[in-house]
Amino acid sequence: METTKSRADEPGSGYEGAKLGMWFFLITELLFFGGMFLLYSVYRSKYSQDFHTAALEENLLLGSINTVILITSSFTMALSITAIRKGNKQLSSLLQAGTMLMGGIFLVNKYFEWSAKISHGIYPDSVLLLKRSSGEILFYGLYYVMTGIHALHVIIGIGVIGVMLFFTRREIINRESFVKLENTGLYWHFVDIIWIYLFPLFYLVT
Amino acid sequence: MSSFYSDTGQRSGIAGWMMSVDHKRIGIMYLSALLLFFSIGTSLGVMMRLNLISPGTFMGVHTYNRLFTIHGIIQIFLFIIPGIPVSFGNFFLPLLIGARDVAFPRLNRLSWWLYLAGAFLVLASLFLGGGALDTGWTFYAPYSIKTKTNVSLALFAVFILGFSSILTGVNFVTTIHRLRAPGMKWHRMPLFVWTLYATGWVQILATPVIAISLLLIILERFFGMGFFDPLKGGDPVLFEHMFWIYSHPAVYIMILPAMGIISEVVPVFARKTLFGYRAVAYSALAIAGVGYLVWGHHMFTSGMSDASRVVFSLLTFIVAVPSGIKVFNWVATLYKGSIRVDAPLIFALTFIFLFSIGGLTGLIQGALSANLHLHGTYWIVAHFHYVMFGGMGFSFLTALHYWFPKMFGRMYNERQAKIGWFFLFVGFNMLYFSMFILGVQGMPRRYFDYPPEYFTGHLVSTIGSWILVAGFVIVFRNLIIAIRKGPKAPDNPWGGTTLEWKVPSPPPHENFEEIPVITRGPYHYGNDKK
Amino acid sequence: MKPGITNIVSAVDSTFLFITVTSVVLLVLVTFFMLYFVVKYNRKRHPQAEQIEGNLLLEIVWTVIPTVLVLLMFYYGWVNFSYMRNAPDDAMTVKVTGMMWSWQFEYKNGKQSNTLNVPLGKPVNLILSSADVIHSLYIPAFRIKEDAVPGLKTHLWFTPNEIGSYDIFCTEYCGTGHSHMLSKVVVMTGEDFEKWYGTAAPQGAKDRGLNLLQVKGCLGCHTTDGTGKIGPTFKGIFGRKEIVITGGKERDIVADEEYLKKSVLQPEADIVKGYPPIMPVIPVTSGELDDIIEALKGLK
Ligand code: HEA
Ligand code: HEA
Ligand code: CUA
Ligand SMILES: [Cu+2]
Repeated sequence: METTKSRADEPGSGYEGAKLGMWFFLITELLFFGGMFLLYSVYRSKYSQDFHTAALEENLLLGSINTVILITSSFTMALSITAIRKGNKQLSSLLQAGTMLMGGIFLVNKYFEWSAKISHGIYPDSVLLLKRSSGEILFYGLYYVMTGIHALHVIIGIGVIGVMLFFTRREIINRESFVKLENTGLYWHFVDIIWIYLFPLFYLVT
Repeated sequence: MSSFYSDTGQRSGIAGWMMSVDHKRIGIMYLSALLLFFSIGTSLGVMMRLNLISPGTFMGVHTYNRLFTIHGIIQIFLFIIPGIPVSFGNFFLPLLIGARDVAFPRLNRLSWWLYLAGAFLVLASLFLGGGALDTGWTFYAPYSIKTKTNVSLALFAVFILGFSSILTGVNFVTTIHRLRAPGMKWHRMPLFVWTLYATGWVQILATPVIAISLLLIILERFFGMGFFDPLKGGDPVLFEHMFWIYSHPAVYIMILPAMGIISEVVPVFARKTLFGYRAVAYSALAIAGVGYLVWGHHMFTSGMSDASRVVFSLLTFIVAVPSGIKVFNWVATLYKGSIRVDAPLIFALTFIFLFSIGGLTGLIQGALSANLHLHGTYWIVAHFHYVMFGGMGFSFLTALHYWFPKMFGRMYNERQAKIGWFFLFVGFNMLYFSMFILGVQGMPRRYFDYPPEYFTGHLVSTIGSWILVAGFVIVFRNLIIAIRKGPKAPDNPWGGTTLEWKVPSPPPHENFEEIPVITRGPYHYGNDKK
Repeated sequence: MKPGITNIVSAVDSTFLFITVTSVVLLVLVTFFMLYFVVKYNRKRHPQAEQIEGNLLLEIVWTVIPTVLVLLMFYYGWVNFSYMRNAPDDAMTVKVTGMMWSWQFEYKNGKQSNTLNVPLGKPVNLILSSADVIHSLYIPAFRIKEDAVPGLKTHLWFTPNEIGSYDIFCTEYCGTGHSHMLSKVVVMTGEDFEKWYGTAAPQGAKDRGLNLLQVKGCLGCHTTDGTGKIGPTFKGIFGRKEIVITGGKERDIVADEEYLKKSVLQPEADIVKGYPPIMPVIPVTSGELDDIIEALKGLK
């Protein structure tokens, strides 16, 4: 890349600027999910009884396990940043790998949840689902779209942490320069928080 | 000192441009792309006009429906929304605040690539799958879910363009927060910077909503969840809400930077500080803020409850007031000035006139009872061409003539520019004013064919479009000749006071040898007071 | 603009005129001052500008006056709007269904029509809905418009004051036939209306069928005189040999009764070569379908 000497000392690409930019980006992410939450709240208020019955069928145990896993992974992510600030490259790498692993387990659980539903014939536009009431059709539509898009964010997050892990090994991320890792952490916490909202909306509305 | 054109960095040729992170190079590339898409989009407009003087002779109904859809999509998503921020914003924002580049130069390049990718996909969608989509630029469900044309790819392309737009917004807002030169307090920023700031926020806060709405349409088409399908309990009106929650603020993405340019140009040619600097700056924020709350005025006949219609109408009227404040302050800036009528000022004053017509007609259709007659007719088509083309379009031309010497280091022929302006002005008003009359008479929009009583209006309008094309040919010919053979431009041809005029034309790669220290407001002419 | 065709016209036109006149005054003022300053303070005449930073009083004036003006405009529009939205209780109700690409009007006694016939001087309340995508019913002469949305009931009302026949347009884009989704509203004297309203539905399968072709909007896309329109003509259709495209493959068929019925019920199954695959599914009962086939047989 063609960064010239004089540009390197600019404040913008520095720590504060990068953090600020990341926060702005997270606002847009929040609004992106906000559109779906809007849809959810409109249909929820229109068909509250149907949403209630449909939520009973969700696998509360798997959902709770996944919630615990994601919260723990947020914690290890935060610890990995503390570790790199103290200059402990080894520990930080380990914690990042741990975070990725937990993200992976989350996805595996999601996979089992989805495939159980699909094998019961409950998926958008399926014959069985179309026989049910409007509210249930919409509930499952929202369930698949919202958890699906959330899972996509988890996948992206795992990928980005992977890159960070690589950077940590190469010492591109080190105790002086760790804003990339910090921003990744922010992103991961964001993904976590979205799940914390999704969980009650789909599993606990009964 | 060598300019940013010759200082290629490590790469040369095409890669020296495509891989460049220099905001000025990125700005120039965006500008060329915008002009390309503008020519394609407007050419489609001229073809539509041709059909409308003799429906069926030149094209069939399918072609026409696709033409106005693509005309709308290209003009909106490829030209007018990225528009001024990505071209003039990129080039001049760092110069105006005394910075060497934007906050995230590489992110800026990524936005540019995403824009190109989105544009490419829009064009590809015309030929792949079911062919060019025919939904209108508003993509209303359930039609957009039912049609067999290639909606999915086109919407995906718009999704990517939205992503590009979000990243530009994030970049500019951060830049303005972090990279102002020492001493450039908020109230010493040029007004173009203020409007870019307001626009950046609108991009950050509104674009994600359209992204998810369009994604939902794509998912509907593939999986059929039924969010907008009444048979499955969904509500088509909800899509309209989600669409306009973005697309109304988007009209302020289009017009705010345009207003910023007018605020730069009027003081320079009046040799006078801007009247009511703070009023003009804050009104930009007010427009951006209240602009979020008025989307429902596109849905006065949609079946939304009467109470919501009343609230949306009230807010619509409120949002017009800050635009009025801007217009009055621009006119007051001329008072007791020392005015030189050069091409940029002519274009700027034309903006004020045409935008006022467009804006005031917005009031007429914003009134509930009048809207029930005017909605969905050519009146609306006239309104938005006046604000978008008469507003943003003429502001774009203002900027092009005002900053041309700085960007290209050459001067254009002043007389040719004025002749071109004359054709544009006459053609524009013939083309679009007749649409107001058609609208009052009840001519519906998106009509391939129409009853004979509307013929005269359409004829006048089409003739106007030819005059307009002539105007554009003159204007662009003049500028293209100037790039190649124009006389060398001085550093500060108009006597401007903002920072971009203190560097050579065209600016060097580094912009400023030394970052300037700012001690006073942006439009400081004259000797009296601070 | 002829005022007074319905009671609604003046409600719309008065708002329109009030805001337009105010706007023209404002536009003339802004433009006049702009041009006047450009001439008066031209650099030749006025070489030294006076630096004026602003004026708080002026800012307040040109914030408050426009605010008052727009609030007036809003109020005017609102008052007339409430009048337009609240039909009197004694209004005659007509059910309107929009479909790709025709309008169907259904009266209290079950009578169906594809034009809107109404008696002079009596308030009419239209209840709109749609069978497929969003449409919008617009009668320019009456200044009224409202969307017809699938799954939703919307409404419009008016009292016609002049005998005549006026255009109905569709003003929400609904696909290929959007600009031909036309109809008429016919205002007739009370007696004429009663006569029309009282006549029984056509007798005999063939006549009933011909009426259905009208009412269901088939004739919006198909002709009975042998010319091509959006779809193939009905003239001589029964027993005609056609090349159709079924699932992407061409094949030869003869348009017999079975084929014709299938074409109505599943329009997308076989597409006559050279025509676009755009025919919507129009709801028909099996009795209605038999009548339609009878009518098609007769169109030689
Ligand atoms: C650049 C884009 C742009 C801008 C700036 C505006 C500005 C405004 N628009 Fe427009 N509008 C569009 C682009 C834009 N619009 C588009 C694209 C559509 C149609 C989309 C589609 O359906 O395809 C549309 C449609 C549209 C509708 C929906 C019509 C319908 O479909 O039924 C309405 C209704 O209220 C409306 C109102 C307004 C108002 C009140 C303003 C105001 O912000 C205008 C404010 C400006 C002024 C008022 C003029 C200057 C002021 C003075 C001279 C001083 C005097 C002022 C006062 C008395 C206040 N617009
Ligand atoms: C910035 C936005 C923009 C601009 C500039 C234009 C420009 C034009 N538009 Fe518009 N238009 C829209 C945005 C815009 N449009 C939108 C959003 C819609 C709604 C779509 C929908 O309903 O979904 C619409 C709809 C629309 C309709 C309504 C269609 C319908 O409802 O049936 C019509 C009808 O006449 C029309 C015509 C035109 C014409 C004649 C031009 C003219 O300005 C064109 C004049 C010609 C030129 C300017 C050509 C000049 C250029 C060259 C000759 C090349 C020059 C060379 C170089 C650059 C090297 N447009
Ligand atoms: Cu029906 Cu347009
Ligand atoms: Cu709007």
